[in-house]
Amino acid sequence: MTNSRRTFLRSATSAVALPFLPSLGLTAAAAPVARGVVNPLAPPPKRLVFLGIGFGVTADRWYPDVDREGAKYKLPKLLKPLTRHKDDITIIQNLMHQYSADGHAGSTFWLTGANRYAVPGQNFHNTISVDQVAAEVLGNDTRFTSVQLTAKDAKSDGHGPGLSLAWNRSGKPIAGLDTPVAAFHRMFSNDTTPLKQRQKILNDQRSVLDAVLSDAKAINRKLDKSDSEKLDEYFQSVREIEIRLAKEEKWLAVDKKKPSKPLSEPGDLEGVEEIRMMYDLMVAAMQVDASRVFTYRMPANRMIQSLGATMSAHTMSHFSEGERRTVSQKRDTAHAKLLAEFFDKLKKSKEPDGSSLFDHCSITFGTNLSSVHTLKNCPTLIAGGGSGFKHGRHLVMDNPKTPLCNLWLSTLRGSGIAAESFGDATGVIDELFEA
Amino acid sequence: MKFSLMKFILPAIFVFLAACSIAEAQDGSAFMQEKQIAVFKKYCYECHNSDAQEGSVDLETIPLEISKDIETAERWAKVLNAINSGEMPPEDAEQIPDRKKLDFLEELSGQMVLARKILSDSGGKITLRRLNQREYANTLEALIGVRPDTSDLPDDQASAGFDTEGASLFFSSDQLEQYLRTARRYLDIALNGSPKTKRKSKRRTKRVEPEETYTPHYRKYLRELKTKIANSKKYLASPDNPPKGLGILDAYQAKKQMKQAKEWSPQLEEYLARPETKTGATLILTIKGGGPTKIKLPVVGPTEFGRYKIRLRAAAYKDAPARFQYLEFTSGFGRTRNHMGWRKVRGTLKKPEIIEFEFDHLPGDRHQYMVHQRTHQDRGDKNLWTLNQKENGMGTPPGVWVDWAELIGPEPFNLSQRQEILFKKPKSWNEKKYATEVIRRFAANAFRGTKPTDAYIRKLVERFESARRDGDNFEKAIVEPLAIVLSSPSFLYMVESAGGKESLTAHELATRLSYFLWSTSPDQELAALAKSGKLSDPKVLRKQTERMIADPKFERFIDGFVYQWLEMERIDMFQSSGAQYPNFDNAIRANSREELFSMVRMLVKKKLPLKDLLRSDYVVINEVLADFYGIDGVEGHEFRKVDLPERSVRGGLLGTSAVHIMGSDGLRSSPVERGAWVLRHLLDNPPPPAPPNVPQLSRLDEEVLPVRKLQRAHQEQPQCAQCHQKIDPIGYGLENFDSTGAWREVELVSFGKSRFGRQNTKEFAIDTAGKLYNGRKFSNFSELRNAIAEHEDDFARGFSKSLIAYGLGRPYGFTDEALSKEILQQAVKRKYDINEFIHALVQSKTFTTK
Repeated sequence: MTNSRRTFLRSATSAVALPFLPSLGLTAAAAPVARGVVNPLAPPPKRLVFLGIGFGVTADRWYPDVDREGAKYKLPKLLKPLTRHKDDITIIQNLMHQYSADGHAGSTFWLTGANRYAVPGQNFHNTISVDQVAAEVLGNDTRFTSVQLTAKDAKSDGHGPGLSLAWNRSGKPIAGLDTPVAAFHRMFSNDTTPLKQRQKILNDQRSVLDAVLSDAKAINRKLDKSDSEKLDEYFQSVREIEIRLAKEEKWLAVDKKKPSKPLSEPGDLEGVEEIRMMYDLMVAAMQVDASRVFTYRMPANRMIQSLGATMSAHTMSHFSEGERRTVSQKRDTAHAKLLAEFFDKLKKSKEPDGSSLFDHCSITFGTNLSSVHTLKNCPTLIAGGGSGFKHGRHLVMDNPKTPLCNLWLSTLRGSGIAAESFGDATGVIDELFEA
Repeated sequence: MKFSLMKFILPAIFVFLAACSIAEAQDGSAFMQEKQIAVFKKYCYECHNSDAQEGSVDLETIPLEISKDIETAERWAKVLNAINSGEMPPEDAEQIPDRKKLDFLEELSGQMVLARKILSDSGGKITLRRLNQREYANTLEALIGVRPDTSDLPDDQASAGFDTEGASLFFSSDQLEQYLRTARRYLDIALNGSPKTKRKSKRRTKRVEPEETYTPHYRKYLRELKTKIANSKKYLASPDNPPKGLGILDAYQAKKQMKQAKEWSPQLEEYLARPETKTGATLILTIKGGGPTKIKLPVVGPTEFGRYKIRLRAAAYKDAPARFQYLEFTSGFGRTRNHMGWRKVRGTLKKPEIIEFEFDHLPGDRHQYMVHQRTHQDRGDKNLWTLNQKENGMGTPPGVWVDWAELIGPEPFNLSQRQEILFKKPKSWNEKKYATEVIRRFAANAFRGTKPTDAYIRKLVERFESARRDGDNFEKAIVEPLAIVLSSPSFLYMVESAGGKESLTAHELATRLSYFLWSTSPDQELAALAKSGKLSDPKVLRKQTERMIADPKFERFIDGFVYQWLEMERIDMFQSSGAQYPNFDNAIRANSREELFSMVRMLVKKKLPLKDLLRSDYVVINEVLADFYGIDGVEGHEFRKVDLPERSVRGGLLGTSAVHIMGSDGLRSSPVERGAWVLRHLLDNPPPPAPPNVPQLSRLDEEVLPVRKLQRAHQEQPQCAQCHQKIDPIGYGLENFDSTGAWREVELVSFGKSRFGRQNTKEFAIDTAGKLYNGRKFSNFSELRNAIAEHEDDFARGFSKSLIAYGLGRPYGFTDEALSKEILQQAVKRKYDINEFIHALVQSKTFTTK
């Protein structure tokens, strides 16, 4: 890293001046006093969005020509719908996780970069995902520390083990909202229950935790050290719920902001329509500042089926010439179209200072699988002005095994999160910040 | 940054011992031999020495003991991978001669497997185990009498290894909330009847006369088709100035719809002309008239749970192909259909028969039950109909006629647990005392012998009282504390308190045994023996084990263990084209899966030798598979032992369709998958897993080639050849089985554009000749199977390792080798009867100590 790079990053970080919380700093959440009252002079908040597609892309036609780097590259035909955003997106090649080896897991380690076998005697290990590192900082002032979206039946969609793209501090999976209806209700439905009753519900939930804790403590005394460590997952879970309850309590009396366009409850949507609605819900959630960190583990089977395919996503992922390839390419283009619409909406939504949501957002679209069962050159498309990246380019990393975690670290630092390191990152990707 | 191979290696070695060809270090460490270091020095040091450290890689200081620690193993893995991928030595440097490279890679990959095994060894430690998804559902059902839907809970099989492995069973806050939700919901059902009403649904019979729907439906549809033909004719008579109001855009559409209507109507005319469609429905398929004819039974809602029976009167058309003379029973709501089962129809139109099909409708489910003809995945049935239509002008011929169908039920489930939970309140007790005792007894029961603390019970009683104050009645108010019990760690975890090597308490032993053989909590008899301490007596323990194996709950062991042992998830990984493989449909896929379970079940029940799985003169099949395999004289859907004629290709795992489906990608057979599966599961000689990022062969080569030619690339480079020379020949020996497990004399390779799901095919002769690595030669499948059958001891050893891992809930490790030997010594006396494996494991010191 050159000296000027460091200076730049340091200044970028200090300009935002957000605290760096080393661990579960959620208890430090500021009381939401001024909620709803927006200070027009304050810079609009940074936001992060991670969109994981599971099974990889039609690799030989999805990536731009490696010989045409920089701004003059040609957007591949499959990505045509993104043409109008070409100056605001960047496609990066040659990123990968050195430890990933499961050809059916496009999401499990995508945002973590963990070594599944790092712990002896255990056949599955994961670490905190990049969105959760960001949420520890960006999530303090919003009703939801982070929002995880996912899809039903994601098991066979090439995502691999996990409940969403997000993994907590202990490397345990975080559940996601799996339908637009569920996401809508969690974020926007109007709770008409009287305040007093809601307070009571919270208290009841606390008593439940109190009871199970009493049993946990009783058995913990009987356990040896390693079993006790295992049981710690249980204690940790109880603590997480306690923290969430505390946050809910703080927000009880606060009026929720309404999105610019009133939302109505989404119907039973599948595939393309479902993804479109999830994008809309994220835009609406950003408009009311319900959260600043979003992950979405997207459907694959239901998506291709809504495009008329009758095969499974896994069958499609083994694309050979013929129908399998056709479906795979259709899927790639449909994603590009949905993404372009998402960007349109983010650009149209204005912050009080006249800038757009898009200007302060970092969006990453991709997966850990490039195609079939290959785990190198992970498809990576980034967009938005949130991390201060210079967009409109096609970057091909010199090192074909550049850690994907370098991008995550760049995204964190660019968003003003003073992360010292992330996963196996060897540094930030300098090219992203260079004009 | 280099790719590390070892992550791939692990799943295999957790369960299976390293390859026999690996010189096993007796002192329990993996080393690179001096001889190989010479290669290393000569070809790598020039750049990667301590001074140059090109690419920050210093190989001079890398410890020779690969298993020293994880970091060292990682470094060696990178070396292995760099050479494997051809990345190193770089093109402009001196290359390692093939022979040396092959030796080096074989040695290193073998030692890597060993190193991983050493490093992943838990040292005999059994980590505190959470109930997995299956066990949780079973245990809840045993306690409250209602089987919960647990599909929202994490699927514990997704994290590889066995789903009993404690260290890998995680816990998260979402899960805690899901447990609470699930427990509340199903306790409410168990204690308060249905979720909505207290009224028990009455048993009743609802009859469906399918002709009332289908005769008018098909008549109307035919009329529409006729109108389309007439309109198209009118349009085409004057395409330049067509009459208005025909609903036709242009001449193209007119021609197309006329053609289709002409293709589709003859079948309907014939249908309506059949006298039997006046009184019933012939099961056909239409492209745009609703797909297959479906006998739709009334929707059963979430509160109408219980046991149901579908009873129907049907006849088969004997001239139809065998596959069509079946009924398929499905459940579901909306588009997804779950296959419940199949029944062959033997009645005739002159003498129809009554067929009965029983099933459980679980609380909370909403299903429409349907009966129709056998289906394929994907668009298979419609494609086949079109292809048939091109040949015969009528489409797929019908196979079954249904006069009427009845849905009878529900027969209420036995909810005796409710009486136990809410036992009769003694008159002298006040409500609080009663509630306290209800909660205490339930918790003690749920905690499998661990006494809940008084403080805990007090907190639960407070929850009850709070709910009562809020106006809930007793039955509602008691749900919450009981739901908390079912979300507490004493219930969710199998707590084994003794640290170190002490014996388990009798209760802990009963629990371990019960989850091993039944995947649920101990029943009353077992719990009583634990309480009295008699279970610690080896004779009593053996008797109990025998009783448990004979119990219907042992089915859960068969399902849970066999599925994971043989990696059966691959059966459902790929779709298959119905047009390409008409005989391979949903029925074959489901029954193929069942065949493997049935084989093992039969071995256990009849105490047959384990080696029957390698080769046997019988199969365990039902009529569906008998039709598929071409075996005569099997009537009925139950799986049974059927003797094979001499020289049959069936018999043993390698003769099952399931194993060959697993070794295919839905289009073609994969000799690599099949060969590797045989090495892993039959020969206990797992190959090092494929390095990641190897391009797929089907994409490399667009030529139309037989699979054996296509894979010749495996032999060309030493880094590929070192493993593939062991794997591929076995796969080639199995090439007479196509991707659905059907026998073939020639390989048909499809190519080109698909028309109605069917491509052109080119025929190739099959060359099955080969040789087991360091073993016997074979020229055909039968000789290969014989050669593999000689490895009975290897097979038994592999089986014992899986059983140990599953039963103890931790990966098989070095520390378990003595145990494996002990088990084998006992089991071999009874020809490796599976019962003896189980007894030997249960009686072992490892099983009975913490």
